[in-house]
Amino acid sequence: MGDHTIAAVDELEDGDRKLVEVEGREIALFRVNGDYHAYTNWCAHQGGPACEGSVTGTAEATFERDDLTVSLDWCKEGEVLNCPWHGWEYDIPTGDCLSKDGTRLPSHPVRVENGSVVVSL
Amino acid sequence: MTQATPGSVAETTVVDTDVHITVDEERIAKYLDEPYRSSITDSPHPVFPSSSWDQRMGGKIDDHFSTFTDPEDIQQFQADFQIEYPIINTFEPLGKFSQPDLAVNLMRAYNDLLLDVFLDDYDFLGLAAIATQKPQEAAAEINRVADEDQIVGIYIGTSGEYPPVGDPSNDPIYKAAADNDLSVVFHGNGDEFMFDFPHHNKGFNNYFEVQTLGHAWQQMAAMSSLLGEGVPAKFPDLNFVFLEAGIGWVPYMMHRMNKIYRMRRSEVPLLEQSPEEYVRDQFYVASQPLGEPNNGDDMKRLIETLGADMLMFATDYPHWDFDHLEEMDKYLQHYFTPEERRKVLYETPVEAFGLNI
Repeated sequence: MGDHTIAAVDELEDGDRKLVEVEGREIALFRVNGDYHAYTNWCAHQGGPACEGSVTGTAEATFERDDLTVSLDWCKEGEVLNCPWHGWEYDIPTGDCLSKDGTRLPSHPVRVENGSVVVSL
Repeated sequence: MTQATPGSVAETTVVDTDVHITVDEERIAKYLDEPYRSSITDSPHPVFPSSSWDQRMGGKIDDHFSTFTDPEDIQQFQADFQIEYPIINTFEPLGKFSQPDLAVNLMRAYNDLLLDVFLDDYDFLGLAAIATQKPQEAAAEINRVADEDQIVGIYIGTSGEYPPVGDPSNDPIYKAAADNDLSVVFHGNGDEFMFDFPHHNKGFNNYFEVQTLGHAWQQMAAMSSLLGEGVPAKFPDLNFVFLEAGIGWVPYMMHRMNKIYRMRRSEVPLLEQSPEEYVRDQFYVASQPLGEPNNGDDMKRLIETLGADMLMFATDYPHWDFDHLEEMDKYLQHYFTPEERRKVLYETPVEAFGLNI
């Protein structure tokens, strides 16, 4: 386990990401709503490069039983990462997989220190 | 694994989830109002469509069907097949009728006949026939018959019903079923293969090809539609039952729908868990026609994959491709515990239909 500076704090705007190699592993740094998140670039499905996929929102639905209507909402815009291989969805702020319960991106502690973004592996 | 005593079938209480009564056209016409009655009795053209396939191969297979018309026939079947609780249905898939009003009136007529001839004076259990052409009329029919204690579910064809059964336009049917604690039963039909898959029906040269695919394709389309539209998520208290496509298609569908769901989750956001979980929680599958692997161990693994909580027994009597109880029971007795066997033959259908027996 070691600390690694992987970006300068003013390098990423909200919605940006940076892919770096640390100790032979591909790590992706995301900035969402001012917070940084670091994940290994590895999809739990078939090992695809999840962190290189598109960042979008996703759909939520609610059903009103009384009048049998379905309401569709587009939510989490800018917070959902889609693996480019098969579309598995990950919630960037938590790393949780939305496609399969109990699955997540391998995450790494990240902090800002003296103007640098530092990830611990 | 256990080895039960051969011949112990009679000691087991058996629920048969698919027993068809035969109702000829003249008989159902008597339960119809005009102009529908005359449209059947007086038309020089057949109102009930037929695909023209020779299902019984020129009579090589006996016709048990034409004479299975009355309560006494069911009682004789119960004695011959050791079936204590047959769940009977009126068979005719109503989706094949082009005239929506005729289908709606036939729906009511079949249910009136079911009650009048088979349920009112006997303790049989039955399924209410439902036509989906006019979902609000179907919901009204469910509300009409639901008070009858012996009605334990609604019976919907998956052979000609359009749009596909999961379409939101059918939600009034599912809501009415849920409100009345009735399970929803889906049943495919070989003769009606021509409605769902007309190109294949026309292109195939023998009934082997149609019968191999027909029920399975129809039920797969129904299950895909139900999950894709989130019907089990919309109605979490509703049970769904699939008859007459065997069981091998179900593991395939569970696993494939899981795979597609994980790729396309945002397309089906009503689903809050994997398709397999919905199937295992709310869906039930009847055994007939049970596939015939060359190696019995293959069937053991298939049954294990489904599990005794989902699997039920059905004969499909009196149709020419029925299964005798022995067909299912040889696997249950050879490979499974008495508790698992009891589930398949009795407890799982009791749960699936909420039977009070």
